[in-house]
Amino acid sequence: MTSGPGDIVGSAVLLRRKERMMSATRGVTARARRSTRRRQELLGGLGFIAPFMAIYVLFLLVPVVQAFYMSGFDWDLLSSTRSPVGFANYRRMLWGTGMEWSVEHALVVRTVIVFVTALAAYGTLKRTSSRVRAAVVVAGGLIVVGVLGIHPSSGGGWSDPAFWNSLKNTMVFTFVSTPILVVLGLALALAIHKRRGGALYRAAFFLPYVLPISAVTLIWSYLLNPDRGLIGGFLGWFGRAPIAFLSDPKLAMPAIIATTVWWSVGFNLVLFVAGLQDIDATLYEAASLDGAGYWRQFRHVTLPGLNHVTILVTVTQAIASFQIFGQVYIMTRGGPGKATDVLVQHIYEAGFRNYQLGYAAAMSVFLFVVMSAVSAVQFRMIARSA
Amino acid sequence: MMHSYTSTTRPLAGDKRLLAKTIDGRRFNQRSKTLAAGSHVLLTVAALAWLLPIVWMLSMGLTPNDELQRSSKNLLPRAVTFENFFSVFSVGDLGRWFVNSVVVTTITTFLTVMFCAMAGYAFARISFPGRRIVYILVLSGLMVPREAMFIPLFLMFSGLGRQNTYDALILPRLAAPLGVFLMTQFYSKIPIEVEEAARVDGASRWRTFLWVMIPLSRPALASLAIFTFVLTWNDYLWPLVASTRAEWFTVTTGLGSLQSNFGATTNLGDLMASGFIASLPLIMVFLLFQRQLIRGITLGSGEK
Repeated sequence: MTSGPGDIVGSAVLLRRKERMMSATRGVTARARRSTRRRQELLGGLGFIAPFMAIYVLFLLVPVVQAFYMSGFDWDLLSSTRSPVGFANYRRMLWGTGMEWSVEHALVVRTVIVFVTALAAYGTLKRTSSRVRAAVVVAGGLIVVGVLGIHPSSGGGWSDPAFWNSLKNTMVFTFVSTPILVVLGLALALAIHKRRGGALYRAAFFLPYVLPISAVTLIWSYLLNPDRGLIGGFLGWFGRAPIAFLSDPKLAMPAIIATTVWWSVGFNLVLFVAGLQDIDATLYEAASLDGAGYWRQFRHVTLPGLNHVTILVTVTQAIASFQIFGQVYIMTRGGPGKATDVLVQHIYEAGFRNYQLGYAAAMSVFLFVVMSAVSAVQFRMIARSA
Repeated sequence: MMHSYTSTTRPLAGDKRLLAKTIDGRRFNQRSKTLAAGSHVLLTVAALAWLLPIVWMLSMGLTPNDELQRSSKNLLPRAVTFENFFSVFSVGDLGRWFVNSVVVTTITTFLTVMFCAMAGYAFARISFPGRRIVYILVLSGLMVPREAMFIPLFLMFSGLGRQNTYDALILPRLAAPLGVFLMTQFYSKIPIEVEEAARVDGASRWRTFLWVMIPLSRPALASLAIFTFVLTWNDYLWPLVASTRAEWFTVTTGLGSLQSNFGATTNLGDLMASGFIASLPLIMVFLLFQRQLIRGITLGSGEK
C-alpha cells in the first residue's frame, strides 16, 4: 500500500501537468473544453443527487409546506369538505374564553425560563462578547415568559384543554426522562469504560434498544400487571399487595418513564463510551502526576472532554422524548383518564379519531416549530463538524 | 527531580513523599482491587437485571398457555413447549406481517444506502453549481422532527389511493438527510488522488463511483445499512398511519395491535412468542453486527 498509491499519484500529477501544458497551447479549445467540463460536472452532479433529492423534496419538504397549508382549513377526513378558516385552528389550540394575564400563572415554569434565559445570555456574552446577541436572547426569553402569563380567567377556559394537558404530559415526560437517561447513560459508561468485559456489559445494556417498541410494551405491560407480572410477584415476596401501575393516574407516567429508560438508555451509553474513548489518555496521566484523585480527574478531565458529547446526547434525547408516542399509545392509550396523553397522540387522535385534519395539521406545525428550535442547536453542532 | 536544582531540601521532601506514596499506593492498590471486584459484581447484577425482561418474554413464549393461565409470575418456564412458536404462524396474521416487515426493511435499507451514497458522493466530490445551497437545504431537513409530518403524508398517500401498499410503507422513509450527511462526510475524507488515478485511466464518473468509491466506503455503508435496518424494522407511527388493513401491518404495528385487551388474554404464551419472533431479526442483527450498529449511532449523532 505504501508504494502503490504514491506511484499513481505521481503519474496523475504528471499527466495533469501534461494536459495543462497542452491546453495552454490551444487556448480556445481549452475554454470550450472547460465549458463542456462544467456542463459535465453539472449533469454528473444532478444525476447523482436526483434520486435522493426527488424523494427528499416529495416526502419531506412538500409535507412540511402542506402542513402549514392544511392548518388554515377546516379539513374533514371523511367528507373531503374543506373550507378556509384562517387562523381559527391556531386560535382553538392556543386560545380560550375570558383570557387574562397574570404574574403568578405557571410560576414555576416561567421562573425556570427566566433562569435559563439568564444563563444563556451570560453564556452568549462570555462566548461571543456580543451585547447585541445577549440582548436578543434576553428579549426572546422575556417574550416567552410574558406570553406564558396569558391564561383563561376563572370564568373562562381553554378552547382545547386536552391540548394543554397533552403538552403538559409531554413536558413532564421530557423533563423527567431526559436527565435520567443522560445521567444513567453517563454513569454506566463510566462504570464499564476500560473495564475487563466492558463490551459484554455494554451489549447487555444496549440490547433492549434494538427491540421494536411493541415488543417493549408487550413485556412491560405484563411486567407491570398487578395480577400476572413479575413485579407483582416480586412485591408478593415481601408480603406487599401488587400495584396496578398502569391504571393508577399517579403511577402511569412513572411506569412509562421506567419503560423508556430500560428501552433506550443503551443508546446514550454507547455514545458516552465512544466519547470517553476519544479523551486523550495523556491528560489522565498528567492529572494523576499532579496528584489529582478520581473525583478531580472526573471534574477536570472527563467532564470537559465529554462536553460536546453531553450536549449532543441531551439535545438528541430531548428531541426523541418530546416525540414520545408508541409507549403511551400501546400501554395506556393516554389513560387512565388523560394522565398520560401526549402531544403526538393528541395529533393522531385529532386526525384519525375526530377526522379533523386541519386542526391536527396545526398541532403538527406547533410540534415542528418547537422541535426545530431545539434541533437548531443540534444542527449547528453537526454543521460545524461538516 | 525537576525542582532539585532550586534548593537542597526539596529532594529529601520529595523522597519522603515518594515513600508515603508507595505505602499509600500499596494500600490503595488493595482497596482498589476490592473496589473493582465489588463493582464487577454490582455491574453483573445490573446487567442481568437489564436482560431479565427479555428472558422472561422468551420463557413465557416457551410455556404452554394453560400453564400461564395459572401463573405467569415465574422467571423460568414450569413446562416447556415449542407449540406457541408454531401456532402463531398458523393462526394469526403474524406470518404475513413478518413478510411485510422483511420486504419493507430490505428495500428501504438498500435504497437508502444507495441514494445516500450517490448523493453523498456528489456533494463531496462533484463541484456542480449550487452544490452548497442544495447541501444546506438537505442538512436543514435534520430539523424536521421524524414524527411531526404524518398528517400531510397520510393525506398525500390516501389522496393517491396508495394506502395499504409497500410504496406507502417504503417511500417516505427514504428521505433520510442524516444518511447523506454521513456519506458526504466519509467521501470528503477519501484522498482525492485515489479517485483521480481512476479518472486518468479513463473511467467515467459512474464507473469510478461504482468500482472505486463504493468498495472504499464499505465500512460507512455497512454502518448506515445496519442503522437503517433497525430504525425501519422498529418504525411504529408511520406504518400505523399508512396501513389500515391488518394484512398490511408490519410486525411492529401488528404486534402493537394485539395488545389492546391485555390482562384478560388467555393466550399469553402465543403473545410472548410473537413478541420474541418480532424481535428475533433485530437480536440477530445485534449479535452479528453490533460494531457496525454502534458505529452508525456514533456517526449518526454527529459525534465524530
